[in-house]
Amino acid sequence: MAAVNGFSETGHGYQTNTPVTAAAPTKQSLPPAKTVDSQSVLKRLQSELMALMMSGDSGISAFPEEDNIFCWKGTIIGSKDTVFEGTEYRLSLSFPNDYPFKPPKVKFETGCFHPNVDVYGNICLDILQDKWSSAYDVRTVLISIQSLLGEPNISSPLNTQAAQLWNNQEEYRKMVEKLYKAPTA
Amino acid sequence: MEDWSSSACNLGILDTLSNDAVQEIVESYNGFCAATETLLCGAGDLSVGSEFVADVQSLCKHGLESLVRDHFLRALEETFEKNGAFKFWRHFEAYGKFSEIGDEEVQEVLCKALEEISMEKQYQEKCLLMLVHALQSYKENISEGRHNSDAERVYLFPKYQLLVSSVLMATLPPHFPEILNWYFKGRLEELSTIMSGELNDDGEIQDKAEISLNEKSKVSYRVGQMEIDECYHQGMLSENNKLVKNIGKVVRDLRSLGFTSMTEDAYASAIFLLLKAKVHELAGDDYRNSVLESIKQWIQAVPLQFLHALLVYLGDSISYDSVSSGLKSPLASRPSSFYPGINTPSEGLVRWKLRLEYFAYETLQDLRIAKLFEIIVDYPDSSPAIEDLKQCLEYTGQHSKLVESFISALRYRLLTAGASTNDILHQYVSTIKALRTIDPAGVFLEAVGEPIRDYLRGRKDTIKCIVTMLTDGTGGNSNLSGNTGDSLLEELNRDEENQENIGLDDDFNTDDKQAWINAQHWEPDPVEADPLKGSRNRRKVDILGMIVGIIGSKDQLVNEYRVMLAEKLLNKSDYDIDTEIRTLELLKIHFGESSMQKCEIMLNDLIDSKRTNTNVKATINQPSQRGAELGDTALPMDILNATIISSNFWPPIQEESLVVPQPVEQLLSDYAKRFNEIKIPRKLLWKKNLGAVKLELQFEDRQVQFTVAPIHAAIIMQFQGQASWTSKNLAAAIGVPIDVLNRRINFWTSKGILAESLGEDSNEHLFTLVEGIVDTSKNGGGNSGSREDILIGDEEGEQSTASVEDQLRKEMTVYEKFIVGMLTNFGSMALDRIHNTLKMFCIADPPYDKTIQQLQSFLSGLVSEEKLELRDGMYFLKK
Repeated sequence: MAAVNGFSETGHGYQTNTPVTAAAPTKQSLPPAKTVDSQSVLKRLQSELMALMMSGDSGISAFPEEDNIFCWKGTIIGSKDTVFEGTEYRLSLSFPNDYPFKPPKVKFETGCFHPNVDVYGNICLDILQDKWSSAYDVRTVLISIQSLLGEPNISSPLNTQAAQLWNNQEEYRKMVEKLYKAPTA
Repeated sequence: MEDWSSSACNLGILDTLSNDAVQEIVESYNGFCAATETLLCGAGDLSVGSEFVADVQSLCKHGLESLVRDHFLRALEETFEKNGAFKFWRHFEAYGKFSEIGDEEVQEVLCKALEEISMEKQYQEKCLLMLVHALQSYKENISEGRHNSDAERVYLFPKYQLLVSSVLMATLPPHFPEILNWYFKGRLEELSTIMSGELNDDGEIQDKAEISLNEKSKVSYRVGQMEIDECYHQGMLSENNKLVKNIGKVVRDLRSLGFTSMTEDAYASAIFLLLKAKVHELAGDDYRNSVLESIKQWIQAVPLQFLHALLVYLGDSISYDSVSSGLKSPLASRPSSFYPGINTPSEGLVRWKLRLEYFAYETLQDLRIAKLFEIIVDYPDSSPAIEDLKQCLEYTGQHSKLVESFISALRYRLLTAGASTNDILHQYVSTIKALRTIDPAGVFLEAVGEPIRDYLRGRKDTIKCIVTMLTDGTGGNSNLSGNTGDSLLEELNRDEENQENIGLDDDFNTDDKQAWINAQHWEPDPVEADPLKGSRNRRKVDILGMIVGIIGSKDQLVNEYRVMLAEKLLNKSDYDIDTEIRTLELLKIHFGESSMQKCEIMLNDLIDSKRTNTNVKATINQPSQRGAELGDTALPMDILNATIISSNFWPPIQEESLVVPQPVEQLLSDYAKRFNEIKIPRKLLWKKNLGAVKLELQFEDRQVQFTVAPIHAAIIMQFQGQASWTSKNLAAAIGVPIDVLNRRINFWTSKGILAESLGEDSNEHLFTLVEGIVDTSKNGGGNSGSREDILIGDEEGEQSTASVEDQLRKEMTVYEKFIVGMLTNFGSMALDRIHNTLKMFCIADPPYDKTIQQLQSFLSGLVSEEKLELRDGMYFLKK
């Protein structure tokens, strides 16, 4: 029910997202720890950034916020031939101090009508939880989320309305268009 | 005072005068006036003398002697104005309007006029003398001999002199000084011709005289004169003397008329003009000889001789000159102010000598400075001219003139788009060398070098040219510039020698001693030095340092050198790297061991390659025979030499796919296998597009040898089996894009080996092997395959390593990706935020090191490519 409410008033739902994001680990709560490890995390993130920039993958992107390399903003464009085609979603990624041994926390900042994304933007994706491996990186995480958009896991939905609607792609597409609000700077 | 008191007395006695006395005064005054008139106007008629004397004496008796004097002088003045000055100037009237005056005519007219006016003056002086006598005899009567007999003369004659000159000055026509100039110029030229004839006639004696003169330049003129007299031919001297006497007479006449300063001005300027002409004639545009000595000799031989003779001739009037010096007209201010009367002839002559020499130095200096640019272009052939200039500047101290003029010449002639960077650099090096001679402290060099450095910084290929200059020894470069002195390698060597010397000093450990010596040799900087730039100790003139200073950091230079070295090493077909090792060692001395480390590894790679290469081949002897049995297509291993590089330390190498012919491919993989066997676990990765191939083409009627790039070899090998290919098929066969093929195949078509024709499809080109010797004649038959030949023929050939510009472009694409990345996620960003973000996160190799201005211009480049948008100071991605 909560999910339905959230999506019936998207604008509001999106706005209520903001305080939740603030409650999540952000730059204030995650200063780069001055340990020997933080140096290697820094290096890892820098090289990931470089790899991501040079990879030239279309439809995904991410970049650290101005002064904190542990907090990134990401962008995903809905893949072609899916109901999300032509939409663009802003994400936030925050990396723990023991990255890459722990997964980054990834959330949608743009409201996303999707079975595995809740009204606060939280994502249910196995590789971001128990299936995380240090072999993953920002790029693979973003690609996974991008493909999750087109291939949701209906069996364990966060947004049941979306999960129910998924079978009717035409209607779903209308819903997406109705609720979609392009991210702003 | 005397006049005043006497007139006061006269007033007193005016009342007491009796009628008789008045009558007497009137009569004698009338008589006096009439006599004066007759005397002055009657040409040479002195018969009224006795009456005149009587009248004068009777007037004097009544205390009217001042009246007598004044009236007489007034009469003299009027007469002189009418008879003397008016006639005198009439002689020159004709020349006022023409600037060109016949030399002979001027001489004649001037002499005639002077003679006439002198006669007039002499006559008047005679009359004046009569008055003097009359007054004197009267005074003698009164004072009974106690009166100073000369007083009247001393009083009246200067007055008369003053009168004469003021009359003449007052009526002076404006062109008279010019006429005098012409006159003296003509006479001096005449004299100079005589003298130079003499110089030619007997140079030996002249030389001797010169030497003795130079040795004793400080000795008074009399000694010099004696020596000259000994050496000079009497006949010539007498002729000179006659000429000088004529001139002397003119000068004396002019002086007596009060034209002292004007005359001096005239002959001084004539002398200077002549000297200037002589300097220009001697110096001219020839910079290969020093002219200073011959100019000095000429000064001794001609103008000083003339002045000497003139001064001796005028010896009697010298004292007179100093008396009248107070009358100098302002017209004559310039030269005369330097030359206030001649007290003793020797001193005057020495002064003249100094003046003339200074003038000569200054003239030569101006001449050389104006042509300094050409002189430096000719350096070091022009070093005598530089040496001259140095001496001149030491004398005149007008260094700032040099700096200004040279800088403007540089801007106008060198620092233009048309000048090649190489030329600018060569000129810069020559400038450094030349100015180092003039100014060892490097003060002016700094000022002059600044615009060149600034300009060179704006040129893209500066670094490349510098590195070429550094590494190209006396080889190909000397052909172009014809001047091995330009090579910076030589500078490197020189530097090394210096370093060695310093090393020796260190052995003695003479720090204290050296410090003491330095302290003793300390000299203040020249006044022109910029105090902000530090003292001269820090400004040691170091050509390499100044060259590196253009670039800003040695790292860039070293990087460029590395690229160039890689190029060179990769194109070597033998392992001979002696010259490279030497250059590297020299560079190490200059730039430090650590910065040259990568280059050293590159050289070591080559040495290792040589060893490995031998090893690989040694293990292969028997197998290669076995390979030969396999078929004739297999190639013997001997023909392959591998260069094995540690690619981490080499500059990025350009990848280019290339399918080499099968036998070669086989050979390469065989080689790699052997290598792997010897050097487990290392494996060879071939860069097939690099290296050089020596090949021989056999035609029906000839054989041609080439050394070419692998791609050229691959192309031509394809024609072995098939005489004509379409460009598409050929490109596929050797595995390169068609445009690359088309570019590279030009090499063979230009050699006349392949012929190009249009295929069926208009985009298709058909290449056919030319069997006969058809077109090669136009290439001069120089296809024997020398290496240089190939390099020229393959000018647009690719470099095997990425050049510095390529690296820069690559850097910029990284930045572009970062900028796109951040704008995707943040929407819009201002310039400084982009700048800061790049600084923070773009820490790759090489890190972001651009200024905000550079970034801005890069961004506006992206905007014009329509990748970005700029609105209200914010950058957006263009959707």
